[in-house]
Amino acid sequence: MNAALGTAGVTLGLAGAVLGVVVLAVGLRRRRRALAAGEPPAGAEALLHLGRPFAWLVLAGAVLATVAMEIALVTHDFSLTYVAENGSRATPLLYTVASLWAALEGSIILWALVLSGFLAAVAHRFRHQASDPLVAWATLTMLAVAVFFFALMLGPADPFTTVAGAVPADGPGPNPLLQNHPLMAIHPPLLYLGYVGFTVPFAFAVAALVTGRLDEGWLAATRRWALAAWGFLTVGIVLGAWWSYEVLGWGGFWAWDPVENASFLPWLTGTAYIHSVMVQQRRGMLRVWNLSLLLATFSLTILGTFLTRSGVLDSVHSFTESPIGPWLLSFFGVVVAVILGLIAWRGDRLRAPGRIDSPVSREGAFLANNVVFAAFAFVVLLGTVFPLVVEAVNGERLSVGTPYFNRMTTPLGLALLFLMAVAPALPWRKASGELLRTRLQWPAWGGAGAVAGAVLLGARGLAPLLAFGLGGFAAAGALRQLALSVRAARRRGASVVAGLVGRSSGGMIVHLGVVLVAVAFAAASAYLTGEEVRLAPGQSATVAGHTVTYQGMNPPAETPQKTVFSARVQVDGGVVYEPALNRFPNATQTIGTPSVRTSLTDDVYLTLVAMPEEPGDPALIGVLVQPLVAWLWIGGGVMALGTLLALWPGERRRRVPAPSPAPAEERRAGGDAGEAGEAGEDTPAPAVVGP
Amino acid sequence: MSARRWLPWLGLAVVVAVSLVVGAGGSGGPPTDAERKTALASELRCPTCRGQSVRDSDAPAAAAIRAEIGRRVDEGQSDEEILAYIDGKFPESLRLTPPASGVGALVWALPVVALVAAVAGLAAAFRRWRAEPLPAPSDDDRALVERARSSGP
Repeated sequence: MNAALGTAGVTLGLAGAVLGVVVLAVGLRRRRRALAAGEPPAGAEALLHLGRPFAWLVLAGAVLATVAMEIALVTHDFSLTYVAENGSRATPLLYTVASLWAALEGSIILWALVLSGFLAAVAHRFRHQASDPLVAWATLTMLAVAVFFFALMLGPADPFTTVAGAVPADGPGPNPLLQNHPLMAIHPPLLYLGYVGFTVPFAFAVAALVTGRLDEGWLAATRRWALAAWGFLTVGIVLGAWWSYEVLGWGGFWAWDPVENASFLPWLTGTAYIHSVMVQQRRGMLRVWNLSLLLATFSLTILGTFLTRSGVLDSVHSFTESPIGPWLLSFFGVVVAVILGLIAWRGDRLRAPGRIDSPVSREGAFLANNVVFAAFAFVVLLGTVFPLVVEAVNGERLSVGTPYFNRMTTPLGLALLFLMAVAPALPWRKASGELLRTRLQWPAWGGAGAVAGAVLLGARGLAPLLAFGLGGFAAAGALRQLALSVRAARRRGASVVAGLVGRSSGGMIVHLGVVLVAVAFAAASAYLTGEEVRLAPGQSATVAGHTVTYQGMNPPAETPQKTVFSARVQVDGGVVYEPALNRFPNATQTIGTPSVRTSLTDDVYLTLVAMPEEPGDPALIGVLVQPLVAWLWIGGGVMALGTLLALWPGERRRRVPAPSPAPAEERRAGGDAGEAGEAGEDTPAPAVVGP
Repeated sequence: MSARRWLPWLGLAVVVAVSLVVGAGGSGGPPTDAERKTALASELRCPTCRGQSVRDSDAPAAAAIRAEIGRRVDEGQSDEEILAYIDGKFPESLRLTPPASGVGALVWALPVVALVAAVAGLAAAFRRWRAEPLPAPSDDDRALVERARSSGP
């Protein structure tokens, strides 16, 4: 029953996507012919308006499939292979619902659901411009991507296969690691919203290439979509780090694991994109580069899914392996080939006549930012796939791990902090030395103060000190911009809040969040102290100035889901924490649950490494003290807040009445409007997709 | 340039330089045994798990290697001796840092080459831009500016 319902949903979605592609393609062709023949393209445009109902059809199919799978999971319908492998009667409801993304087939359903959600949202948002070829091509591209994912679900990654033979009475439940923390319920969906969200700007980029409308219209149309996807991806990554910190029990939050890298790669190129897009909006330059970044972001999400879901790379996230590897790789190949072909075909139209006058300018800083982000992405990609390539070439097995990534990315991260400090103060076109001296003086003192303060507090080591100093510089620079923006808002009679809303102030708040994350990352990785201490009940040990006292074991807590053995450990004579080991009925290994005393200055991270043999025996307790970890999560929250503020329509946002067929060069007349004028700017590029 | 202008920057440079010399120079003697154990364990891949280091994994094999490292550090062996022992013990290298020789060297060199090439490309682009004269504004451009001026802010 559920299998039939689910397969019906997948089939409906696939049919809707295929038909949508066909109808839009026919409509676009007829429209072009009609225009070429000088006839009114009314009939063709009616066809193009059919894209929207097809988008809703695809969404209906995805919702149906999702609902069928959730019903099957919640009602323990073990006749479905997926439920038999990932469900169990003992699993609490929250984790049962979240089992949708506990393994590959279910996560493809989630992917399809998110994708069709975005598809329907695009169709709805641009419903009045559906006959615009740009919108039609973008919708068609998204539908084509949907065809691929729905086809996966009908073929190699069918989530609705039924078990052969007798229906089991119960299942093993999801991987124990995936039913240990509520973050599991929100981290993957958020990540998918980010991952899949980049399909929207990607589709518009393809549409711009196909239609040859390579001016800034498509950028303006997708700015908020790209920013929203970026925000979701950011929050998804930060929550993933938090989950790993709270669950995995090794006290770390980032391990350069292939799956982490797979989510980080599109983030890096996406971040580069949302910066360099400003150069194109302002100056009409870097068109090929911006297209390439978007196309890279989208293809990296596919490549990342391939790397992590095909089992070619070892990762703690390889919860399942499946035969979809070749499919994903082929899709990746097709996407890259189509993109390169389109760029080559449109090469002549992509050349913008502008130039960058001086490297010491806003656009020069954005260029530098892009070079560093691209290098960063290159290092992460190379380090991730290098073992694969080497093994394929000469059979040698080698690992590229954390030491490599840390060593290679530290200088790049420091360079990004420096650019973050300097770039917001730079004017467009050209900066004079005098201007830089005035604008950078106080931020620079902020950086110097941060270094001096850190040294006085006892911080040592060149790399962390540089991180603190450049972090202070960047934070002071961002605060200066915010202060200017608020002052400008007050001057024109608006509220303080008005000065904090909009693209540039939101961006500065995101920068503050990045600084918090960077400083916390540097401090936590450079100054961690860890020890494993064997303590008898009542004994204490001191680690990095914190006294931990082992009080004994709690009686084992048995639930149908698991048995929990927890220790009572008092930290600094205050609160008692209970790190535990969990034994799941269907797993051989015990899974630890750390317990963390969090504070704004440092975290004391407790794990139960080994249980006592007898209740009164000593227990082996892991104690890890790391400074400033809490600021990673706070920084992530600040980044999310900044993204929201940047998405909020600024008050200067205007709707441009008519579509502008004119080339972009026309708008390159104005120079730098002055620093205060940039605050809260939301460049009103002419909407290609006019009403 | 007058002293008023550069004096604050000189002060700033002195503050940063002194702080960095104090902070980066005096990092407090050789690493402790506990630090060495952690550092060695994070250099090695856990042989039985997927993508976790010996430090991070709670698998029995990782715990065994940690114990071995601990014993040898306490015995006074050097980092190189311990890593060499572990290299000899396992058929495949457990090192998480790729070797700086052979094929492994590529993973270190390629990013540097790419970065240098990108910077050189940018430098060339800037030189070309500087050499080209700016295109003169066309009549269309002037008309656009006029329209923008007359339509007010």
